Amino acid sequence: MCQAAAGSTPQQQQSAAGSTAAVLDEALLAKLVCPLAKTPLRYDVEEQLLINDELGVGYPVVNGVPYLMPMRGRMLHQEGQEEGQQAGHS
Amino acid sequence: MRLLSTTDPLPHQPPAGSNIINSSSRSSDTNAEDTEDVIDFGFKTVPRQQKEALVGQVFSNVASSYDIMNDLMSGGLHRLWKHRLVETLAPFAGMQHLDVAGGTGDVAFRVLRAIQTAEQIDRQQPQQWQAQQPQQQPGQQQQQQQQQQGAVTVFDINAEMLEVGKQRARAQGLATGLSWVQGNAEQLPFPDACMDSYTVAFGIRNVTDRHAALCEAHRVLRRGGRLLCLEFSQVSLPLLRQVYDAYSFNVIPKIGGLVAHDEASYQYLVESIRQFPDQESWADQIRDAGFKAVTYENLTGGVVAIHSGFKL
Repeated sequence: MCQAAAGSTPQQQQSAAGSTAAVLDEALLAKLVCPLAKTPLRYDVEEQLLINDELGVGYPVVNGVPYLMPMRGRMLHQEGQEEGQQAGHS
Repeated sequence: MRLLSTTDPLPHQPPAGSNIINSSSRSSDTNAEDTEDVIDFGFKTVPRQQKEALVGQVFSNVASSYDIMNDLMSGGLHRLWKHRLVETLAPFAGMQHLDVAGGTGDVAFRVLRAIQTAEQIDRQQPQQWQAQQPQQQPGQQQQQQQQQQGAVTVFDINAEMLEVGKQRARAQGLATGLSWVQGNAEQLPFPDACMDSYTVAFGIRNVTDRHAALCEAHRVLRRGGRLLCLEFSQVSLPLLRQVYDAYSFNVIPKIGGLVAHDEASYQYLVESIRQFPDQESWADQIRDAGFKAVTYENLTGGVVAIHSGFKL
């Protein structure tokens, strides 16, 4: 599917550099789950990813904002695969 | 970013041009066309899979001028409508609220302020408050209620709208109790029964699968939780309808062209309003998702309506 760039833009990535608001708020993390499996997520601060270990999917956090679209999920530990799984959802 | 065109061919679709049907007739009130491969995009018909991206482009284009355009298009009326929405919601201390498709934060900020006002009142009158609470589990229950602070989550599929919202929050000095999450209303990244309330203001008509969004709303609400939807609806009075149509189709896109330099996006916005089901049909769709005690209130002669439903 053709996807408009709803995710991070160069502007946002520039503003994220060095910003104290770039880290996800822990209180918010407690309220989030994987949009596909509805299971809790693990926050990888270094990679700025919210990870569903069960599915092996990572969702980006940009400037403190979690991007939890299923389309934004990135398959981890698989080379060369940028877009995430759709899990049969159209 | 390449401008996505409605004539872009998809792998399994026939060549460009044959997908798009310019129809002057309104689509049916039921979601009959949602089971097919095409769906409305304003008055156009587009492949279903494309709608999300097309709508995304519209809002990325309008994000920076969204609030000004709201004032211009509605003559400031949108403020009254949102005020009425939040008044109906009646936020309370400790409320966990989700505002969907609320990117620039208009409704979310109002809800947050109302929650904080309620919490302030509670703090100033602790003796009266504690005396009214049942003493069944005195220590634990009161401790929990005292500690939980209200929280508003702003949820939107569009990153540009969220960014505008964050800037507005900073400008208004709002930070504590406000969270920003990007995602799809059809697949909410929140656990079951975690929210006291859910609002969606002028956003649900842009969702491709509205039934899925309603079901997700029902899922994340606690028992007793409330859905409130503020959306453009159908004007029934004939004369008002004519004036409204003339204004919408002749004036609004032109303002969009002059102020936002984007007539096409505002043409879409105006058309998408006409494609949305009428008050009763929308109420039925909300019931279909499991909500009870579904009612609606017309504002400004039906130009907008606030629909309400409860998870019971």
